Formats: sequence, C-alpha cells, structure tokens
Amino acid sequence: MPNKLIQSPLGKARGLGSAHHGAMHNLAHDITTLVNIPLVAWVIYSIVSLRSASYSEVIAWMSHPVSIVAAILFVMVALKHFALELQVVFEDYISCKCLRMIKVVGMKLFFIALGVTTIISILKIAFTSGI
Amino acid sequence: MVQFTLPKKSKVKKGQKFDAAKGAENKKTFKVYRYDPDQGENPTMDEYDINLDECGPMVLDAIIHIKDNVDSTLTFRRSCREGICGSCAMNIDGRNTLACLKPINEVKGDVKITPLPHMPVVKDLVPDLTHAYAQYESIEPWMKTDTATPSRERLQSPEDAQKLNGDDGKGPAACILCFCCSTSCPSYWWNPDKFMGPAVLLNAWRWLTDSRDEAKGERLDQLEDPFKLYRCHTIMNCTNACPKDLNPAKSISEIKKMIVERHS
Repeated sequence: MPNKLIQSPLGKARGLGSAHHGAMHNLAHDITTLVNIPLVAWVIYSIVSLRSASYSEVIAWMSHPVSIVAAILFVMVALKHFALELQVVFEDYISCKCLRMIKVVGMKLFFIALGVTTIISILKIAFTSGI
Repeated sequence: MVQFTLPKKSKVKKGQKFDAAKGAENKKTFKVYRYDPDQGENPTMDEYDINLDECGPMVLDAIIHIKDNVDSTLTFRRSCREGICGSCAMNIDGRNTLACLKPINEVKGDVKITPLPHMPVVKDLVPDLTHAYAQYESIEPWMKTDTATPSRERLQSPEDAQKLNGDDGKGPAACILCFCCSTSCPSYWWNPDKFMGPAVLLNAWRWLTDSRDEAKGERLDQLEDPFKLYRCHTIMNCTNACPKDLNPAKSISEIKKMIVERHS
C-alpha cells in the first residue's frame, strides 16, 4: 500500500517555507537582458562588417583591445543569461527534485567550462596570432 | 516531467443531448462538462438546447435554467449572481470568467462550459479549491500590528487607501478570490504545489501596500522564494482573465520591486 502523507491543506501549502532567495536570480536575469542588447548589436554589426574580410583582417580585428573586451563581455553575459534562463526552464518543467538539481548543477558546470574555454580561445587568438 | 496530455481517465467523451427548445426560434446549444468521480467513468460533454426566451441574459441564468428545468443533476457553484462572490467562476467559451457576468450573446455559436482549468474536479463545474484557499491562508491575509490597539480606528490617509482600492476601484482590495487568474496561469498549472499563483500574490500585495500593516518584512521573507513568487514569468494571462479587470501581474511585479528595494 502506498505511503500517503496525511497533511492539512495549510501544512501542504506552507511546505518547507521560503528559501529566502530568488530576487538576485531575477535581478541578474533582467540586468543581463539589458546588457545583452548593445553586446548582441555589436556582435551582429561585427559579423556583418567582417563578412568579406580576409583571415588576417579578422585576426587583426580580434586583436584590437575593444574587440577583446567586448567579445569577452559578450561571452560572459550571454552565457550567464542563457544559464539563468535554462535554470528557470528546468525549475518550471522538471518536477522530480533530484533530477532537477542534477540538471541545474550539470548545466552550470557546462556553462562555466564553455565560458572559460571560449575566453581562453579569444585571448589566445588576440595575443598569440603573431599579427 | 510535466505531463502535457490528459490521463486516460480524464479524456472527455461525447455525452447526452437534451433538446429543451423544441420549436423555439431563439435557441442556443450549451455544451457542458459533466464528471462524477463516484461513477468512475470518463468526463463527458453534455449538450443542452435552450430556449433563450425562457431564461435570463447571462450564462449563469442559462445554467440555472438547465438545472431547474432540464437536468437537475447538473452541479455548479453560484451565489450572488452579480460578480461579487466569485462562486460561479468557470471556463466559458475558452476563457475563465464569472458565469454571472458573461452575457450569452457575447458567445458566437455553441456555448462551451468547463470547470476552471487545472484544478481537481469535485463534480461537473465544481473545482476543488482547497489548496488555493490554503495558499491564501498561508500569506496570513489579515492586518498584523505590534503597536498597541488604539482607542479608535487605525488611521489611513485617503491617498494610502487609494493604493488598496485603486483610482478606479480596481485596486488589489477589489479581488473576489474567484481564482480565474490563478487557473489561467501556465506557471500555476506546472507548479501548483509551490507557486502561490496570481490571486494569492495579488492579495499578498494588498497587505504589503497597506500603510497600517506592520509586518512587511515578515511578509516579504515568506514570499522571497524561487517557487512561491518567482515562478511568475509575466505571461499576463492573469490580467487578461480577471473578470473584475484587476491587474495581478502588476501586483506581482510590485512585490518583486519591493524585494529588490529591500536588498539595495
């Protein structure tokens, strides 16, 4: 026979109480959304303006300090925003707490690895391309 | 994972047809959700042809007419019949609303009536609101003060009272707890056990914005939670569904702003 928890409706509604966080996640989401607007515009503008550039011209552009800073900022902010959004999706649609936690932690580790790899690649191109 | 399809026993089948408008020129068909958990059968959509000249102008009038004259087994809640009690909240023509405020002539074609979505069904059009009421109770919807009780009433300026009542009478204090908003919210469908839902959060805001209440910090402590509050993704179905034209989405956003203000 299944072990059914007998609990009052109020006890069920209160559950374990408040986690006392969530505001910063929401705020970070809103801030990264706003910061992404100029950064994404810069990425699109860069891709369009470099569409007929040669390899050495692209490397030269990548080595420019403004491009390095903007590219690193874009990677950090876009990945952070993506991770925050994915966490919300997992929390919305995965009801199993254990599976949800595994997916959220795994996703965060994946994005940290992706961000570090991308930033190292940008720095490597910028400083070791020899142009 | 979230279940996107109805369980086998919840699939709605075709039901009985009652023609109570033989020979009538002004008639309308009402397709009504019927379910009795005691029978162990799937829900059905029964059809009732009604002579509109024999009943009042609202959908509630038609349902009462059906119960009184056609099928006395039809079960639904109703009380005030003027949009104050919130009892007759149901889904009419694909939209959560109050049957007493929904004119029949606003519905083109057949009138399809189902109970409020997502809630367990007690019978026919009666949803089980036990959990929603418990969630409402959990926000402690009463004035909390530590100041000694004054000899007369607790004073409130007209400006502060207007924050509760709204410029147009559509402030958070006008909520009638019909739960049309909560049951139209996808976030509430997916996480009803933890997410408070727009109706309860609108009422939480009603107490947070009350100048006489002295427990704002305590109330915000209880609400600051990824599931209780932050499941709201500003989908705005709640504001769209509210039969009293209130704005639960704005109230939720005000609570979020208040929490940020506390952190900053």
